[in-house]
Amino acid sequence: MKEDIQRKLFDHLLKNKISNFVGVPDSTMKYFIDQGLKKKKVLITTREEEAIGIATGMSLSDSKSLVFMQNAGFANSLSTITSLVQLYHIPIIFLVGWRGYLSGDAPEHKKIGEIQPDLIKILKLPSKVITEKNWKNVCLWAIKKNQNNTACALIIRREFLD
Amino acid sequence: MIRKEAMEIAVKEIGEYPIISANGYISRDLFNVLDKKSNFYMIGSMGLASSIGLGVALKNPGKRIFVFDGDGNILMNLGSLVTIGSMKPKNLIHIIFDNNSHESTGGQPSNSKNVKIGKIGESANYKVYNTNTKLGFKQVLKKIKNNSGPIMIIVKIKAKKIVSQRITHRPIKIRDRFMKSLEKI
Repeated sequence: MKEDIQRKLFDHLLKNKISNFVGVPDSTMKYFIDQGLKKKKVLITTREEEAIGIATGMSLSDSKSLVFMQNAGFANSLSTITSLVQLYHIPIIFLVGWRGYLSGDAPEHKKIGEIQPDLIKILKLPSKVITEKNWKNVCLWAIKKNQNNTACALIIRREFLD
Repeated sequence: MIRKEAMEIAVKEIGEYPIISANGYISRDLFNVLDKKSNFYMIGSMGLASSIGLGVALKNPGKRIFVFDGDGNILMNLGSLVTIGSMKPKNLIHIIFDNNSHESTGGQPSNSKNVKIGKIGESANYKVYNTNTKLGFKQVLKKIKNNSGPIMIIVKIKAKKIVSQRITHRPIKIRDRFMKSLEKI
């Protein structure tokens, strides 16, 4: 996703009352995170589970939260998603990078990139791939889920190799 | 002192303030000692009570927020100390009931006796208190009333096989009444 859209995406979510952006960085969404850092709305944590815990505490305080992470971090988070987010119906929006989407990505991302769509499906976590074309509609969908106390995931593909 | 005795002392001093309690026997004991709406029993998500507590503390700067943690729990999430130490929430009081063991899973040893969690806390910008007696614990709780956090209290307790009953509230009920209590206090 292009830099300007990533920055617009951040501003759009903030404008729509998503107040906290907590997570572990991912180069796939580096401009999104940078936009949040500039506005002092980002909290970087040591691990993804920790980010989900903090976002849960904020949600319990009626302050809406997004948790961002790489898909490697999504794999770290499975138990926290099932035994905290889904157990207590905590409305967190996840923004998850999709490394391993391109077949030539680094070897450590290949396996998780392959199984990511199935993992999300098995978890029954509502999700949509967010793109430069659909981002506004997908945001609207995520914000509605959030208002209905449902967690959901926005998946952002890594469409470049370095 | 066993954990339940330590908790009885703590809840008296804490009153209506929110408590986020770790999974396993910590939450079960708290439920049995004093069930109240401002208790958030974290029954799953091992290790994350202090992270949830940080989130609540950051969004409620005017309220004192208590975390009831165990040695096993905090050792699973030491990174949490780094984030708490960076955010420095003045209203967070992190109590660690330390019995050097994973009592909820059968009493296997934890490594809390081999390292100094309090020193790690100090490095992470906590004000740290250690106690192993009932009187000492009472005094610390009184003392910190006018101190600003983040505060860590390490309470050495004895492992004793007294098992409290499970929490009977449904998770959604725990969530809803905790959220309502935050609006009121």
